[in-house]
Amino acid sequence: MISLDTFFFILASGILLGGLYALMATGLAVVWTTLGVFNFAHGTFVALGAYVAWQVTQSIGGGAGFLLAAALSVIVMFGIGFVLHYVLVKPFERNTNLVLLAVITTLAAASIIENGILIGWGPRDKQITPPIEGSVGFFGASINLYDIVILLVALLTLLALALFLRRTSLGRAMRAAAQNREAAELMGLNVSMLFAITIGLSAATAALAGVFTGSLRFISPTFGADPLMKALVVVILGGVARFTSPIYAAFIVGIAESFSAYFLGLYWAPAVLFAMMIAVLLIKPEGLFGHRSKTL
Amino acid sequence: MSTPLLELRNLGGGYPPISVFRNISLSIGNRESVGFFGPNGHGKTTLLKTVAGLLDPWEGDILFAGTRLNAEGRMRARTSRNLNYDLFRRRRIRAETVVRAGLIYVMQGNLLFPEMTVEEVLDIAPRAAEGRQGVAEMRLLVDDLFPRLCERRDSKIRYLSGGERQMVSIAVGLLALPRMLILDEPTLGLSPKLRIELSQAVRRIRESNVPLVIVDQNVEFLTSLVDRLFLFDHGSITREIDAGSMPSHDEIMTMMFGETL
Ligand SMILES: Nc1ncnc2c1ncn2[C@@H]1O[C@H](COP(=O)(O)OP(=O)(O)O)[C@@H](O)[C@H]1O
Ligand SMILES: [Mg+2]
Repeated sequence: MISLDTFFFILASGILLGGLYALMATGLAVVWTTLGVFNFAHGTFVALGAYVAWQVTQSIGGGAGFLLAAALSVIVMFGIGFVLHYVLVKPFERNTNLVLLAVITTLAAASIIENGILIGWGPRDKQITPPIEGSVGFFGASINLYDIVILLVALLTLLALALFLRRTSLGRAMRAAAQNREAAELMGLNVSMLFAITIGLSAATAALAGVFTGSLRFISPTFGADPLMKALVVVILGGVARFTSPIYAAFIVGIAESFSAYFLGLYWAPAVLFAMMIAVLLIKPEGLFGHRSKTL
Repeated sequence: MSTPLLELRNLGGGYPPISVFRNISLSIGNRESVGFFGPNGHGKTTLLKTVAGLLDPWEGDILFAGTRLNAEGRMRARTSRNLNYDLFRRRRIRAETVVRAGLIYVMQGNLLFPEMTVEEVLDIAPRAAEGRQGVAEMRLLVDDLFPRLCERRDSKIRYLSGGERQMVSIAVGLLALPRMLILDEPTLGLSPKLRIELSQAVRRIRESNVPLVIVDQNVEFLTSLVDRLFLFDHGSITREIDAGSMPSHDEIMTMMFGETL
């Protein structure tokens, strides 16, 4: 068996992963529940967000540079997500094959963004310098201070997003458009723009996840593939019945991944996650948390 | 006569490729309320959804207060089997344009937003009336018309009864400050008690000088409420009856289905 501090170290890294996955998966889930479209470009939003932030940190260093990079990356990705709605989804919205068409258009966008990154930034690995150093003790295990900050920021971002959707008039209008498009149009809501804002917010959270992930690992043009896969597993595992469903599932996936990586090896961790996903699909296809209906 | 508030010119439409209604021409004056009566499944809802901007018209125009609400263009019809885009402009209409003009449609059996509370829905409803005065007064009227909604303000829409849901639908329409309100079978599928309650609410809306376009299956209710009644059959208006000569239920049945009934 393992010693207690190793156990807590694995647990802590699992929780950190969970925080990042929650950030990635929530954006995917929100777009799915609102537009009824699965965004295969979500992973490349994470990657592009990381590259934009890296570019900024190249010219401005230090903690201030990192903050500026993160903020700029989030804003730029919001804009890109907003515009992409009008390019990838809107032209097909009255088509009965919307779901299938959106699979193709978002896959195309993913491919274009990935290759755009390759052309723009080259194949070399890059890394964003973490802005915070130092560590704290956690039941005998030593945890990076930065990891804790990441987790807190991720959770606060999700909380802010949830409050925005519930409490503000714009957020409520977005939920209305998600739940009944016709009724929302009859209220005079600009549903297309609300959908564009939804994808924008999804891309913005993906960018934040990208900035954090890019400061923990190396960034490469294919950097988005892993986040997309993990977000997919999380969304299927947790379901989308509530805003919080994918968040709980993200922590389950994060912790499961970090334990299986330790005990079974890095290469077996994805297999374990997919096995979990298949088991859930067989036993409770609507996801672990909540009912069959999709909501926001 | 001054410009009519709502005017339909040779309007036709349906669910492609099935044409549901055609050649609808009518004009409704500024302070006038009209009713539609006709058998189920003959296209009243389809017509009203087209006027409300949820369906694109196939032909003809929709004018409200003198401005055309739909864009010029042709009906959508695939010209090429290989191209996914239509190479010509479609005859389009957007619900947002219609709502901003003040023409508000309360859809038949609207399920609204199942996961939102009554209060949340009533909170976003006035966005349609952006920049216009009178939302606060209208909210008072709504609270007065439907006291039951105040009791249920924190319930999610999915837990409401059909009647309560209908009340929210009408309240949402009113909070958009309609210049004309279209009510599509507001009492459909309700218990007798609720039917009376909603009929009275509709009557009070009428008395508060909101012009109505209303579809209902109860002729007596319609004739007592409107200035003009259109009989609607097989996708077109077959007869127009003025307030002065409102017939009884039996007379209308004879007009629509002949003597043999
Ligand atoms: N979403 C739809 N798609 C295709 N056909 C429809 C749809 N809704 C209604 N119809 C058809 O259009 C016709 C008119 O229906 P409707 O406008 O609801 O009539 P009414 O309101 O007069 O009862 C009916 O034959 C109905 O089957
Ligand atoms: Mg109908």
